[in-house]
Parts: sequence; structure tokens; C-alpha cells
Amino acid sequence: MKQLLRIGVRNLLQNRRRSLMLGGAIALVTLLLVMLLAISGGMQATMLRSANTLTTGHVNVAGFYKVTSTGSGPLVSGYPKLLELVRETVPEAKLVVPRARGWGKIISETSSLQAEVGGVDIAGEATFREVVRVEEGSLDGLAEPGTLLVFRKQAERLGLAVGDMVTISAPTFRGVNNTVDVRVVAIAADLGLLSQMVVFTPAQTVRKLYQLSDETTGALMITLHDRADAPAVQERLRKVIGEAGYTLMDVQAGQPYWMKFDTVNREDWTGQKIDVTRWDDEASFLKRMVDTFDVLAALLVGVLLVIIVVGIMNTLWMTIRERTSEIGTLRAIGMARSRVLSMFLIESFVLSASASLFGAAVGLGLALGLDGWGIPIGNESLQIFLMSDTLRLAIDLPTLARALVTVVAVTTLGALYPSWRAARMRPVTAIHTVG
Amino acid sequence: MSFTLASLPRALALALTAALGALALLAPSKAAALDEPAMIELLKEVDVRQRNSGDWKALAYMQQKEKGKSDVAYEMVIYRRDADEKLMFLFMAPKSEAGKGYLRIDDNIWMYDPNVGKWERRTERERIGGTDSRRADFDQSKLAVEYTPTYLGADKLGKFDVHKLKLAVKAGRDVAWPIIELWVDQATGNVLKRQEFALSGKLMRTALYPKWHKVYSESKQADVWYPKQMYFYDEVEKGNQTIVSIKDIDLRGLDKNMFTKAWLESKSR
Repeated sequence: MKQLLRIGVRNLLQNRRRSLMLGGAIALVTLLLVMLLAISGGMQATMLRSANTLTTGHVNVAGFYKVTSTGSGPLVSGYPKLLELVRETVPEAKLVVPRARGWGKIISETSSLQAEVGGVDIAGEATFREVVRVEEGSLDGLAEPGTLLVFRKQAERLGLAVGDMVTISAPTFRGVNNTVDVRVVAIAADLGLLSQMVVFTPAQTVRKLYQLSDETTGALMITLHDRADAPAVQERLRKVIGEAGYTLMDVQAGQPYWMKFDTVNREDWTGQKIDVTRWDDEASFLKRMVDTFDVLAALLVGVLLVIIVVGIMNTLWMTIRERTSEIGTLRAIGMARSRVLSMFLIESFVLSASASLFGAAVGLGLALGLDGWGIPIGNESLQIFLMSDTLRLAIDLPTLARALVTVVAVTTLGALYPSWRAARMRPVTAIHTVG
Repeated sequence: MSFTLASLPRALALALTAALGALALLAPSKAAALDEPAMIELLKEVDVRQRNSGDWKALAYMQQKEKGKSDVAYEMVIYRRDADEKLMFLFMAPKSEAGKGYLRIDDNIWMYDPNVGKWERRTERERIGGTDSRRADFDQSKLAVEYTPTYLGADKLGKFDVHKLKLAVKAGRDVAWPIIELWVDQATGNVLKRQEFALSGKLMRTALYPKWHKVYSESKQADVWYPKQMYFYDEVEKGNQTIVSIKDIDLRGLDKNMFTKAWLESKSR
């Protein structure tokens, strides 16, 4: 094997120009794959970070309350009792917070926008404080009723500064128009796409807007130490809450709460139903965007890999043609067919592995460098697509290793057929062939 | 070209209204304050004058003015069957909206968008076609049923002597506006102005009805009154307004089965 490896390396060095051309192409494809994976990883990381702070816990105990059979609100009535039950059932939770939910029109002197209105009790929102970076004003201002936190883009669109008054207008869940006037106390840095769709106000302000009692909230958001535990916690909570006498909604995987209104409104029931959801349900529309990007990236890399494989096959054909008499001699002095096959495969593997390693290393360095640089993205469509206002790239080692193995495996396998053809050559024919 | 209060720019119209209001204070109307039964009677009259016991079809032109955007002109056909509380809107223009429709089935308002071929349930408070108008602006008037009035006084609105009433929604009634202030012409019983408030007491919308027309209804055996023009001013997002003109009223009976999703879809194609 060592001998074959030496032959492969020597041969690659002998045909330096050809090796460099082909190796360069493999390195470039690997680099591209690593960069695409890093962009996808960055999108996913931003999505998780912003979604888990702004709109969903790793697990949520939420639900709908229906006053009439045709009208519903995303409400949990009598939540303190349920909160106690959740804390007892999930003692390992990092944080459990009630979050009021609404949807309203935010109207300033100069403009307006529609947004989800999150009602927070800022004193208990530890994770919120960790993630939301306030650029102007203070998060503590949200402790006072009638206050508002907006994100940078929203503030620019509404022409707002800290201290300005805006009106939030929304119909109550009973269908009557209502408003609250709120003062902007904080403007936070954008957190990707989601931060353009949500504003925050104290929970009691949301209750006032929707004319809700103090014991009503939108959801109990549970943050876990490891989000991989979410399915097990969801299952446990469904069991305990059901046993406690609450009516549970069926699990509708991949559906955020706002996509359930139509279904819920069509159902013939009134009162409270509890819905236990996970982060990947509530942020499924974002996840779909990341998945779409991944599919496109896979397609692009796939096409490039096919081109590379054709290149490798072509190069090996040329090599085999040039070395036909050499193959014949090797076969004549007793080299087995399998050894000939291995010799060409190893040569191809050495080229692929070294080029891919080089490409991956450059890609990784580039991704880390660009991420550290935090290049601002000016284009709004691109911001929405990348879910961030700065270019974020993230790649973990297992993903990087998978990318490497894929490129090396595909390119090496591309050499299989020409190598097999070389191994099947008859020694007599091979010796008599003039290269 | 006819001159009406509403043909003036809004600021001028409001200034004129305020000036006339001030004049009215200096020379108060001689009309006596209305007691509760009289107010309810007045509201019933307002409702009855606009009600048609049979069917109703009209063409509505709406001009939407929105701050920072160019004006959009809409054209829609309104179909009503008051006896069964049926209501349907079908948009004809602009091109981007043509074929869209709203249909009330029981207590639900459904919107059909031919571009996606789907029906969506909408709320009572939905702005029709994104304008400042609401479903109730084109539906039969039910003020006496939905609201409890209090008398704010006799007033003057332009050259008209009016009763000014404050209406508060009755418990359990599904309406867009919980509080309304109403200026009703003492002579005709037509509503000339209406201001709508949110639960918080914030003024949300002002509506002016400068022109009232009537059309004889065979089914009612009496005149049916309708506002020929309606002006809606968004009081929260200042600068947004909608002007509605109602034309081509047709009180002949409509097809029996037309208030259905299938019918609206067939017209949307």
C-alpha cells in the first residue's frame, strides 16, 4: 500500500500542471461548499438565537381561548396555576416566562407598521436581556406600563427616537377596536428578520389593549439548557397537563400558532384549549427558508461536483493512455489487477484529499474571518434572506468533516471506472501500445 | 358641478365645520333636547330610511389616499339582501384587485383572492380592500339595535340643524366601533357626520355624508335613502382618507342563489 501511495504521489508531482489544475478545481468546490455551509449555519444560528428570544421558547405552553365558536384569541387564561404546574414538571428548565401575544398596528406621527406585540415582564426575562442589545434607551424602562421597545429598522421606518409616543391599534379578541398610547423607552439592534416583525411592551399594556384579566397571557415560554431535549419535555408536559384536566389541542408539527387561527376558528368549541409546541414549530417558516437555501446550495455544489468528476475521469483517461505500456509492464511482471485498480484509485484519492483539505482550510479561515469582521448588509432583501443585518457565518467541525468526506468520496469514486478499465487491460496489448 | 362641503379640501372643510359649529353655539338651535325614547325613535328612523326590504345592488367607486403613497381608485359592486342579512362585494378595478370579493356567511366575513384561489376568514373590522372603509359602511344600518344613545345637544353643522348623539355599544353586540358620535339632520333624519372611537376613547375615524339620495323601492313601497358620497378620514394615521361614491342603485331582485362562494368564484375568474 505504501508503495502504491508513493507511486501515486510521484505521478501527481510528475504531472504538476495537470495536478494543480484539477486539484485547484477540487479545492475551489470544497471552499464553495464550506462557505455555503457556513452561510447556512450562520442563518440557522441567527434564526435560533432571535426566534428563541423574540417569539418562542424551546417549548411553549400556549393555546387558544374561544369566546364564541367562530372567534378565537391566542390566550392562556388562569396562567399562574399552569405556570406552577410547568415549573414542577420541568424543574430542569433554564427559564419559564409568561409572554403576552398580540398583533397590532404601530402608528407614529409619520408612518405605521403591522407587528406582533410581545408583552414581557422584563424583570423575569433573563435570556431577553442576554440577547437583545439596546442601542438607545434602557430595557429597564419596560418595567413601566405604557412603554415600548422597537428595533432599529422599525425605529427608522417609523421615524422614532427614545421618548417619542406611538399608538398601538388593534381589535380586542371580542372584536372591538382599541388603542393604547405608549412611549418608546428602548431601541434595540436588529436581530434578523424576526426583529422586523415584533415589538415589545410590558405584559400589562398588552392586557390593557386586549382588555384581558391579570391572569391571562399568551404563552408560557420554556427555555431549556439543551434544545435537543425539547421533544421529550413536550411529551412530558402534554401528559401532565392533560392529566391535570386541561383540554389539549392535537400536535400540529411545523405550524406556528398564527397559522392555526383558521383551523381553530372552524372548530366548534368554546373555552380554553392548551397547545404545547416546540421552537421548530413556531419558527418553522424560518426553518423552511434555511432548508430551501440548503437545497439550492446542495444543487449548486452537486452540479460543480459532477463537473469535477468528469474532469477527474478525463484526466485519468489521459493518464492511463500515457501509461498504458507501464501498466502492461507492471501486469507482465505479476502485478495483480486489484493492485493496478488500487494504484489509480489511490492517486485520485491523494489528489482529492489534499486539494479538499486545502480548500476546506481556506474556506474555514475565510468564514471565520468574515464572521469576525461582521460585514454589514445594506440590501434589505438580502437581509431578509440571510436573517441578519450583518454577514454571519458559522460552521461546526462535524459539518466541515462531512463536507470534506463528501467531496473526497465523490471525486475518488469518479476515478473508479477509468481505474477499473486500466486494471482490465491485457498485458500483451498494453506492452505493445505506444503511449 | 355641484358644490358640497365634502368637495372642499379636508382642512378647509373641517375649519368651515368648526366655524359653523362656533356660530351655532352663539345662536343655539331652538330644537328641544331629545329624551331616550325620542333618541331611539330617531335612530330607528335613521335605520328604516336606509333599509330596503328586498335586494340591493350598487356600484361603488372608492378613492384611497394614503400618506406617502399614490392614490388608488377602486371600483366594486355591492350586493345586499337585507331580509336574509346577505352581503357581498366584488371588486372590478384596479386590475390588481379585480376579482377579489367579500362574502358574509352568518357571522363570518370571507374574502376570496383569485390570485391564490383561496378563501380567507376576515374580521368585522377588516378594512375593505385596504381602504378606510369597513363592512358596516356598505351594510344596512342597525344603529338602534346595536347602540344605546345619549344626547349631546342640538348643534349646527354647516347650514344644517342637527342632533348630536353619543352612541355606546350594547353588551354582546359585535361592532367595529364601541363608541360613536353622530350628527343627525333634524329636518331629514339623515346622518351628516359620524365620529368613531376606540374602547380607549381615542378618536379613530371621522366620516362625512354630505350627499343623500333616495330611490323608490317596490318591495318596501317607500323611498330608500343612501349616502351618495362618503368621506372617511383616518384620525390616527392623519393624512389617510377614502372617498366613496355610490352609483347605479338597482333594487330589483337578485338571483336567488348568488350569495355563495361558488357564485363569487365564478365571477372572479
